[in-house]
Order: sequence, then structure tokens, then C-alpha cells
Amino acid sequence: MRILVVEDEQILREQLADKLKSAGYVVDVAEDGEEGLYFGREYEYDAAIIDLGLPKLNGIDLISQLRNEERRFPVLVLTARSNWQDKVEGLEAGADDYLTKPFQMEELLARLNALIRRAAGYASPVITDGALSVDTAKKEVRVEQAVVELTAYEYKVLEYLILNPGRVVSKTELTEHLYEQDYDRDSNVIEVFVGRLRKKLNPLNPIRTVRGQGYHFNAERSD
Amino acid sequence: MKLGIQTRLLITTTVVLGTSLTLAGVVLDRSFQASIVAGAEEQLRLVIYSLMGSMDRYGDEIRFNLDFPEPRLNQPESGLYAVVDSDDGDQRWRSPSVITTGVRFPERQAALSAGEFRFESVRQGAVDRFFLSYAVIWEDTDEALLTFRVGTDQAPFRSAIQGFRRNLYVGLGAVTLLFVLAQYLAVRWGLMPLRTMAGEVREMEEGHRERLSDRYPTELRGLAQNLDRFVAHEQRSRARYRKAMEDLAHSLKTPLAVIRNALGEKAPAESALLQEQLDRMESSVTYQLSRASATGPVVVGHIVNAANMIERLVRALQTAYSERGIEVVQDVPEDLNVRGDERDLMEMLGNLLENAFKYTASRVRISAECSNVVCICICIDDDGPGIEPELRQQVLNRGTRADQVQSGQGIGLSVVAELVALYQGELKIGESPLGGARIRLELPR
Repeated sequence: MRILVVEDEQILREQLADKLKSAGYVVDVAEDGEEGLYFGREYEYDAAIIDLGLPKLNGIDLISQLRNEERRFPVLVLTARSNWQDKVEGLEAGADDYLTKPFQMEELLARLNALIRRAAGYASPVITDGALSVDTAKKEVRVEQAVVELTAYEYKVLEYLILNPGRVVSKTELTEHLYEQDYDRDSNVIEVFVGRLRKKLNPLNPIRTVRGQGYHFNAERSD
Repeated sequence: MKLGIQTRLLITTTVVLGTSLTLAGVVLDRSFQASIVAGAEEQLRLVIYSLMGSMDRYGDEIRFNLDFPEPRLNQPESGLYAVVDSDDGDQRWRSPSVITTGVRFPERQAALSAGEFRFESVRQGAVDRFFLSYAVIWEDTDEALLTFRVGTDQAPFRSAIQGFRRNLYVGLGAVTLLFVLAQYLAVRWGLMPLRTMAGEVREMEEGHRERLSDRYPTELRGLAQNLDRFVAHEQRSRARYRKAMEDLAHSLKTPLAVIRNALGEKAPAESALLQEQLDRMESSVTYQLSRASATGPVVVGHIVNAANMIERLVRALQTAYSERGIEVVQDVPEDLNVRGDERDLMEMLGNLLENAFKYTASRVRISAECSNVVCICICIDDDGPGIEPELRQQVLNRGTRADQVQSGQGIGLSVVAELVALYQGELKIGESPLGGARIRLELPR
């Protein structure tokens, strides 16, 4: 999951990036509104965390512009001001949720998780698909009630596919959303992860290979 | 109650004008009366002279020419009478009008010396008469002293005076009325800009107008401009103050967020005390800053449509809480208007609605009424766990230190309670028929 963080306060920005990375997200950071807009236009994100009080281009304008340019990823707004005018304007501009500073990191992660899930159309943090169940909050995968041990990257691949159901996800897209930009991953690595994942999810086989295009998660959503 | 400027001016004009015109009336009346009486005397004098001119004396007998100078002396009831007395007071001659009417001349008080006139006004029964006597030494025989006495009824003079008086007072009355009317119109016209200004200030108070118009006469232009400048200054400093508060919030809360995150990395045992202190700081900052940024009921304010605001807040909260699938029922009249600062109202409603969304199980109901003349009333119901009576009291006791209020529902409600008190409204916390909390917000109109 690739997340864009737009926050002008350097220490907070670093803390957010660290925390998100350790929670398994791929993070891009921007320190002002214009940089945020550039990233938002150039890359596909799964969610963005945007502070409202940004230099150069304020958070509300940034969100409006992104929404005008058909950028649909969920946006979580951070505001230092508890005033409601800001919150309402942020949500009206196209944000999906807000969090008032100072916040608990755990709450931020929970909200972010919920936003990404909601964007994929799942209401509950536990996504079940027949015998397969993925708890996005605990990052725990079960097949027929039994917990399946997955490595972080295996989980990331599965989560990304399950949160983008019903469409073909290319290997490039997976690479972009699961790895930092500077990693130059060979697409074979993805094939290796998918292969291991299939083995671990046996007897289920929800991931279909579409030759020359990528992977397709066989969504039989039962929630 | 103090009298209005217009009433004061009108009363003054009416009193001054009324008094002076009445005085003028009295003076004119007196002069006219005097001139009428003088005229009467003059007329009688002429009669005496003409009598003297046409008199003949034969021994004791007095006769007058046939071409009598004053025909009225011959007619009965003519109102003009004459007698001629001898020295000893005997009436030597009486005009025919005296004989037929039976007019008695007043008793002679004292003898007149020759060449002397005496004029008097005497009331005889129901009739007032003027009399003029003149003593003369008739030289052609025995130098006897004759007194000519002439009288006339006052009625014709009286009616002349009354006619004059009537015209005078009607005229003066008309002039007074005309003046008062003119004054009234002048005052109304003169005071019109003040009235306009009062109207515009009222519109500003009610929030229908941002500033005064510039169509004031020179005398008021300065005042209007100063008032405008004052209002603009007040708004600017309010905005500046609010901006300062927001910047302060930003500069306090961002470091707090950094500290909190840094503490989160440490073991719970190590950081518990610091976390607790951080919570207190956070509560204080939130509470005190909200309190300080509140504007309160504004003198020159805005009418805020609360229905619209509730709609916006609900839509925003439904976005933020979309995964909870909360059912919201709104029963809010469209013309729910509140006089006050938009941000303050949004702060109150935002905090209350957020609490309802946060704590409800599935349903939030917002109802409002504005039929009361004094205040509007907004009720927010939810079907959550409700608020414990202990916390209700704690929240509503204003002045409770924010860091003593538990965070969560408490702090938001404390902020609202503070704002509501500033607006002299009322906040009530009770139980909802839905099963959770009912918050009732009353704000003066």
C-alpha cells in the first residue's frame, strides 16, 4: 500500500513516515502543498494523509485540486486547529476523514486502514472470501479458521490484491505499491511471492494469473 | 422614556410659536379696541359740533333746523341720542330718539367748565352706551352755560371688534398650524438621515448589512464613516485575534503530536507519567484555546442559518463515519436562524454532533424549533450508552478546569458549555427516548 504524507513539520513528518513504514506501508513524503500536488498527480496512491495548514498550497486547496483531477484515493486530513470550519471544509473539499492533532499513532493507523478498506468497498476490517479471511487490522490471514503464517511481503501482496478485487493488477502496479521507489525490484520477485502465497493458501486458489497482464483476485465477497 | 428629538423640537416650536402669536393677538386686539373707542368718541364729537351748528335759541326754547344734521336723532331706536342741559342741570332739549326710546343720560357727576369734553362708557340695563358731554357758553343772549350731551349704543362697535377678533384669532391659529406643520416637515426631513442611520445600524446588528451606506449629509458623514471604521476595525481585530489563536493552536499542538509519537516508542511503564501529563496539557490547550477564540454574541453580527450548518456538518460527519452506517433523522425547520458568529455556532454544533456520531449505536436524531420568540432550541438524540449523571454535572459546571474533565466526550462538551454560556443560552444533558443521550441546546434569538 503506497501512502502519500503531506506535512510541513519535519519531525512529525519523519515520525509519520517511520510509523507507517513499520506498519508495512510504502510512504512518499511531501513538505508543502505544491510538492504534495506533484506527487499526487504523478503517482498512484492507496491513501493520502494531508495536513491542512501547509505552506505554498493549503491542504484544502490541495485536496480540491486532486479531486478535480480525478484522483480518487482516500484522504485523511490532519488539523492542528480543532475548529470545525476547517474540518467541514476539508471534508467538503473531498477528504474522507479527519484527525485532530495531537493524535495517537494507533488511531491514525486504524483510521488509515479503515479508509483503504472502505475505498475497496469493505465495511469490516475482517475481509472474508469463502474460507479465506484477512484481518486487515491485525494483519492476520486464516484459511478455514487456521492462521496462515505469511511474511510481510507475502501479506502485502495478498492485501493489495484483496483490496483491488475484480480487476487485473499488473506486476508493475504491485511493485509500485509495495516497494519504495528506489528499490529496483525484478518482476520475478513478485512471481516468487505469488507462488509462495498460493502454496500457503492451499487448498484455496483465489489468485489467478492473467497471461501477459498480471493477477486477478477471484472475489466472491461474502461480507 | 426619553422624548424623541422630533417630539422635543415640535413641543418647543409649538410652545414658543403659540405664546408669541397669542401675545401678538392680545396686543392687536387691545389696539384695535382702543382705536374703535377713539373713533366712537370722535363720531360723537362731530355730532355735538353739528348740533351746535344748527341750533337756534329763542329765549328759553331751543330749536334746531329742519335739515337736521344727524337723521338718526330723529328716529326711534336709532342708537344715537342727544340732550342739551342748561347750567342748572335741566334738560332744555331732547332729541326725538331720546323721547321715543326713553334713554336716560347718566347723572352729572360734576359740572363741566366751558370748553371741556367728558367721555364715558356706561352700562344701562342690558345695553352699553358711550356718552360725550361738552359744556359751552352760549353767547348770543345771556351767556348761559349749555351742556351738549350725546350718547350712542355700543353694539355696532362691539360687533366690529368681535368681527376683527374672530378674524384675528382664526388667522393667527392658521398661521400657528401652518408653522407647526412646516416645522414638523422640516424636522422630519432634517432627521431623516438619522432615522436612516438607525435603520442601517439595526440591519447591521441583525446581520443583513456589512457597513453603512455613504449617502449621508455632511453633518453625519463623519459619524457614519467613524462607525464604519470602528466596525471594520472590530472585525479585523477579531479576525486577527482568531488567526493568532489558530497559529498558537498549531504551534502548540504540532509539538504535542511529536512528543506523543516519540513517547509511543517507549515502553508503557516508562512513559505512563509523561503520557498522563501530555493528556492534561492537550486538554488544557484544546479547552482554553476554544474558549479564547470564541467571539460571543456580536454587536454587529451575522444571521447564521443553523439549518444549513447542521446539514453541512451532518454531511461531513457522514463522510467521516461512513462505515458505521449511522442513520440520521433531521427535523430542522429551514429558517432556523441564529444571531451570532458563524464559527462559534459551528463549534457548538460540530462538537455536539460529533459526540452523537461517535457514541451512537446506529441512530442520531436532530430536531429543532424556532417558534419561540425568545430562543431557538436544538435537540440532538442518539441511541448510544448515554452520559453518566456525574459527568453531566461536571461538564455543565462551568469553570471546571479542563484538565480535570476526562478527555473524550467531556472536553468537547465543556467547550460547548462554555460557548453556550457566552451566548447566554442553555445546555441540558438528559436521556433520549432513543435510549442514549439527549443534548438540548437553547440559544437566544
